[in-house]
Amino acid sequence: MDPKLTPEESAKRMLAALWERNLPVLRDRLDQLDAASEAAATGSLSALMREDAASTAHKLAGSLGMFGYQRGTEFARKMELLFSEPGAVDALSLRELASSLRESVNL
Amino acid sequence: MRRILIIDDEDDIREVAALSLESVAGWQISTADCAAEGIKKAIAEKPDAILMDVMMPAMDGPTAFKEMQKLPEIAHIPVILLTAKVQGVDQRRFAGLGVAAVLFKPFDPLSLSEEISTALGWS
Repeated sequence: MDPKLTPEESAKRMLAALWERNLPVLRDRLDQLDAASEAAATGSLSALMREDAASTAHKLAGSLGMFGYQRGTEFARKMELLFSEPGAVDALSLRELASSLRESVNL
Repeated sequence: MRRILIIDDEDDIREVAALSLESVAGWQISTADCAAEGIKKAIAEKPDAILMDVMMPAMDGPTAFKEMQKLPEIAHIPVILLTAKVQGVDQRRFAGLGVAAVLFKPFDPLSLSEEISTALGWS
């Protein structure tokens, strides 16, 4: 830890490093949500894939805001609800949300 | 110095919470990536408080809390549940378990220690 930095500045710097380190996991999760949204659009979303997508969206909803990406959390939370709702899935909304989510974290 | 045990299966959440509480508050942090390991560490280390995720594979946070309550050596340790569930029915269910507090993800890393202190009356 740099002694010239306040604890808050030091924490922000370490958070930025953690964000960079977690980018591969984040990219995988975004890819999973893209794939599930595409599968929903083509009518090939299986129950297992849907459950996994809801879980992935839940994880993103819980983590993105910690790194300052609050809008990402909001988009992921909406996706989690759509994947979790019983009945037919709203494929159009999912596609839009997946795209907005990716944009919100600049990936 | 406060000693906190963080139990969460998500690496990023665990790392950010640990970093936050260590660097901002200067607390001593121990971590576990599943409930079973967390219970073992709680028994061995007797932390001042436990911050535990709700949704974990194998054993979830509420079940782990109930298991901890059966163990006299750690039953007194305050447990704070951490959840990304925002629906009111879930929140009421978690609060009804008898935990010390329920905090919500995503948390602000710069104020997490304050939230914990306030919840536990440490301020």
